Amino acid sequence: MIGIAILLVAAAIAHGLARWLKLPAVPLLIVAGLIINGIGVMPERALLEDTLQLGLAFLVFAAGIELNPRRVGSQRAGAIRVGTAQFGVLFVIGYAAVWLLGSSVQEAIYLALALASSSTLLVVRLLQQRKQMFEPSGRLVLGVLLVQDLMLILLLPILTGLPNGVGEAARGFAGSAVLVIAAFASIRWVAPLLLVRLGLDEEGVLLVTLAFLFIFIGGGVWLGLPMIAGAFLAGVALSGFPVNGIVRGQLGPLSDFFLAVFFTALGGFIALPAPRDLLIVAVLVALVVLVTPVLVTVIAEASGLSARPAIESGLLLAQTSEFSLVTALQGLAIGHVREEVLTIVALVTMISMFLTPFIATNKMTWRLMSMHPMRKREPAREPPRDHVLLLGCGDNGMPLLETLLGTGREVVVVDDDPAVIKLLQEADITCIRGDGSDFEVLRRSGAQNAAMIISTMRRPRDSMHLLGRVRGVPVLVRVFDQADAEKIERRGGIPISYADAATEDFLHWLDQAESVGISNERRSRPRGA
Amino acid sequence: MIVAAAGFLLLSRLVKVPSIVAYIIAGLALGPITRLLTVTEAIEIISEVGIVLLLFLVGLELSLDKIKRVGKSAIVIGLLQVVLTTLVGTVASLALGFDPTTAVFLALAMTFSSTVVVVKLLTEKGEFDSLYGRLSIGVLLVQDMVVVAMLTLMAGLDGGGLNVGNVSAGLLRAGGGMTLLMIVALLSARFILPRAFNWISASGEALFIWSLSWCFLFVVAAELLHISVELGAFIAGVSLAQLQFNQELRRRVHPLMNFFIAIFFTTLGVQMELGAAFGQLVPGLILSGFVLLVKPLVFFVVMPRLGFDSRTTFNTGVTLSQVSEFSFIFAALGVSAGFIDDTVLALISVIGLTTIAVSSYAMGFSGVVYEKLGGERLLKLLRASSGRPEAPRRHMHGHVIVIGMNSLGVHLVQELLGRGERVLAIDTDARKLAPLRCETLLGSIDHPSLVEDAELARAKLVVSALQIEDTNNLLAYRCRQLGVPCSIHAFDRSVVKELREIGANHLMIPKNIGVQRMMVALRERGLLDG
Repeated sequence: MIGIAILLVAAAIAHGLARWLKLPAVPLLIVAGLIINGIGVMPERALLEDTLQLGLAFLVFAAGIELNPRRVGSQRAGAIRVGTAQFGVLFVIGYAAVWLLGSSVQEAIYLALALASSSTLLVVRLLQQRKQMFEPSGRLVLGVLLVQDLMLILLLPILTGLPNGVGEAARGFAGSAVLVIAAFASIRWVAPLLLVRLGLDEEGVLLVTLAFLFIFIGGGVWLGLPMIAGAFLAGVALSGFPVNGIVRGQLGPLSDFFLAVFFTALGGFIALPAPRDLLIVAVLVALVVLVTPVLVTVIAEASGLSARPAIESGLLLAQTSEFSLVTALQGLAIGHVREEVLTIVALVTMISMFLTPFIATNKMTWRLMSMHPMRKREPAREPPRDHVLLLGCGDNGMPLLETLLGTGREVVVVDDDPAVIKLLQEADITCIRGDGSDFEVLRRSGAQNAAMIISTMRRPRDSMHLLGRVRGVPVLVRVFDQADAEKIERRGGIPISYADAATEDFLHWLDQAESVGISNERRSRPRGA
Repeated sequence: MIVAAAGFLLLSRLVKVPSIVAYIIAGLALGPITRLLTVTEAIEIISEVGIVLLLFLVGLELSLDKIKRVGKSAIVIGLLQVVLTTLVGTVASLALGFDPTTAVFLALAMTFSSTVVVVKLLTEKGEFDSLYGRLSIGVLLVQDMVVVAMLTLMAGLDGGGLNVGNVSAGLLRAGGGMTLLMIVALLSARFILPRAFNWISASGEALFIWSLSWCFLFVVAAELLHISVELGAFIAGVSLAQLQFNQELRRRVHPLMNFFIAIFFTTLGVQMELGAAFGQLVPGLILSGFVLLVKPLVFFVVMPRLGFDSRTTFNTGVTLSQVSEFSFIFAALGVSAGFIDDTVLALISVIGLTTIAVSSYAMGFSGVVYEKLGGERLLKLLRASSGRPEAPRRHMHGHVIVIGMNSLGVHLVQELLGRGERVLAIDTDARKLAPLRCETLLGSIDHPSLVEDAELARAKLVVSALQIEDTNNLLAYRCRQLGVPCSIHAFDRSVVKELREIGANHLMIPKNIGVQRMMVALRERGLLDG
C-alpha cells in the first residue's frame, strides 16, 4: 500500500510541476520516478514490474481506442504517406547512426524502431489544448500517429520472433493478422452488440470493456504475441463510434491512474547511463528533432497540404513516443537488449517530449516558413493598392466575396487551399496562395495599402498578428470568443463576433421548431428587420 | 479473472442477480471449483485498494453537515446494536452447543456488517443520500471504530494474558491517532485544500491524481497510527467533500473503484475453502438465518424509539443484516491466536457468504419485501411510531440544457433565460459556471453519470456550444437515442457531415452566419458603397 502511495504522491507532484511550468506531464512523471529512485524510497521491484505490466496494457489499450479513422477525415491518404515515410526513413537513419556508434545489430534495430514513432499522448494533448484537432494539420498528425502505432504493433511480434528463426517470425505475423481480423470483426458486430444494444449501466460497460482487454491479451499470448499487441488490438476493437465514446467515460479514470503510476514506475527502472550511451542519446535526439520536421513537411506538402500546416505537422511530430518505451520494454523483457537500451530510449523520449512544446510554436513555424524554398520562386510583382483584401475565403466566404465584387472595387483574395485558388483563378479574381499571417504574403497582397482588410482566418492569433503589421487600414476580424474580440479591439481592429450571430440564428430556429416536437409555450418576440 | 467477472456480470444482468453475488460466484468458479487461479500478492493489494477507494468515495459523498445530522443517532444505534447483537449471538451459539470462547467469537464475528457490500448496494440503488443510507453508513463507521478497539484489545491479549497497560496504550494511540487525522483533515479542508485544488483543477487528470494521492497519504498515515486504512480513506474523502469538484471527483473515482471492487469480491470467492465449508453447511445455514432475522430485529427495536419512521427503520435493518467480510479476517486471527479452530473459520465463511448473498437480494427487493411482510403492522407490534417520511427528491423536466460556457454558450443561456426557459448550464470549469444565474452542473458530458444527473432524457432541448468534435458527436448520438432534440455547434466545416449523419436536429454554423454578420457590418459602416 505504501508503494502505491509513494507512486501516487510522486505523480501528483509531477502533475503540479507540469501545471506550474506549463510543460507536458509525461516526461515530468518519469523524472519524478527517477528522483524517488534516487532518494531510495522506490517500492520493491515486484510491485513495480506488476505496475508496469498493467500500466502498459492500459496505455496501449487507450491508444487503440482512439484509433478512429473517421477522425482523420480528408487527410487519410496524406497521413498514410507521411506516416510510412517518417517511420521508414527515421528507422533507416536511426539504425545507421546507432550501428556506426558501435551497437549490436539487435540493439540497433530496437533503438531505430523506438525512434520511428511520435508520441500519441503528448501530441493529442497539445492539439486539444490549442484547439487544433479539427484543422487539416491536426487531422494529418492524428492520422500519422495512428499509422505509426499500428505499424509498430504489427512489426513488434515479427521482431521478437525473428532471432528464433523466420518461422517464428512468420507465426508472429500470422498471429497478429488473426487478432487484427478479430478486432475489425468486433468493431463491426461484437462491440456494438455488447456495449450499445444491451444498454448496460456504468459498471457493466466498464467490465465488458475490461473483458475485451483481457480476452484479447489472453488470445494474443496464446497466439504467441506479446501482451501489448493484444491490448492494442483490444482498443482497436472498441474504437468504432459510438462505442469509443461510451467506453471513454468509464475507461478515462482508469487510464489516468495507470498512466500516472506507469510513467513514475518507469523512472524507477532507469539507471544512470554510461558516457557512450549518452552520446547515443544526444545523436538520437538530434535526429528526431531535426530530421522529422523536414521530412514530414516535404511529404505533407507533396500530399497537397499547404506550407504552413505542413510545417506545423512536422514540428508537432518531432519527438519519440510512449510506444518507443513499449518497444524497449518488450526487448528487455525477452532479453534481446540490455537495460541500458531502455535507459537510452527513456532519456531520448523524455528530452524530445520536453522540447516539443518549445519547438512546435508559431514563432518556429514562421521562421521555417521564411526559409521555405517556394517563396523564392514567386515572381516579384507590383503589390496592389486601394483594394479590398480578403484573408481566408473558403466555401463560407463565397457569398461575402460576391457581395464585395458587386461593389465594383478591386478584390484580392489570400487563401492557402489550392482548390479555392483554382476556383478563383478560373473566375479571374486576383488571388494569392499563401497564409494570411505570413509577412511575405501580406506584402505581396499590398496589405499596407489596402482600403480595407477582412480577415476570416481560423486562428485569432493570426489576425492579431496582422493587426500588428498594418496601420491605418480598417481591419474587420471575424471572432468567436469575447476575450479575443476585446484583444482585437485593443489592437485597433474591428471585431465581428459570430457568437451572438449564431445565437440569433439558433433562436430563430427554436421559434420554428414546432415540427420537431418542441412545445414552445412562450410567444416568440417580434423579430426586428 | 476479469473476463470471468465480466462474463458472470453479464449473465447476472440478464437474470437480475446482484453484481456482488455474480462476482463471488465468478470467484468460486475460478478458485475452488476449477482451480484456475490462485490469489497472488498483487491481487490482494488490488483488493485492498478497492476497499480504500470505496471508503474514499463514501467520504466524498458525505459532507460534514450530513455527518453531523445523523452522527449522534448513528453512534447510539451503532453501539447499542453491537452490544445487543453480541449478547444475543453469544446466547444463541451457546444454545447450539459451542464452548464459551467460540460462542463469543462467533457472536462478535456476526455482529459486524459489511461496509463494502452496503456501500456498493446503496450506490447501485442510488439511495446513498437517503436517510437510511446515511444512517447505515454512520452505523458502519461506528462499527469500524469498535473493530479498531477490538483489534487493539486482541493484540493486547496475545499470549493468553490480559496486559492492561498494553491495551490501554494501544487504545489511546488508536483514539489519539484518529483524532489527529480528523484534525488534520478539517484544518486542511479549511485552509489548504480549496486554494490548492482550485489551482490544479484546470487539468482534470491532475486533479484526479492529486485527490488520489491525498487519499493514500491518509491511508499510509492511518497504517502508521494503527487505525484501519478504511477510516483513513474515509477521512480523506470527507476533507475533500465540500470542494466544488467533489461531484466531478466522484465520477472519476467511481469507475476506478468499480474495477478494484470487482476484483475484491471475486477474490473473496476464490479464497473460499469449499471442502471445509460443506462440512459446516447446516450449522452455517442456521446461524445465517439467525443473523438475517435477528440483526434487523435489533434495529427495529432500537430505531423507532429514536423517532425514525418505519420505512427507514426497515431499510436500515435489511441493509445491515449481513456479516462483514472482515469477519473472515477476524476469524483467521482467532485461529492463529488459538481461540478457535478451523471448522469455526469455515463456519464463519459460510455464514458470511450466505448473508452477503441474501442481503444483496433483499436490498434489491426491499420495497417488495416491505409490502409482503406487512411492514407497517409488524413494526407497530414493536411499538414503532409512524414518523415523518422523507421528502422525495426533486426532478427536472422540460428544461433546456446548454453545454459549454464559452461566448456562444453564455449568450445562449442569457437569451434562453430571457425567454423564461428553465436552463441547466454545464461546463467542466467551475469558474465559468460561477457568474451564471441559472442552475448549473459541473462536469464533462462524456460521463454517463453526468448525463443522468442532468436528466437529459427529460430535457426539452439540448444545445452544445462546445468546440470538441468527439464530445459533440457522442452527445448528438445520445440525444438521438433518447429522442431529445439537439442543436450542435458545428464549429468547422469538417465536422458538419458527421453531425448531420448522426442526426443532429440543428447545426449552428457560426462561420456561415459570421460572414453574413460581416456583410451587415460592412454595409453599416458604409464600406460597401462606391
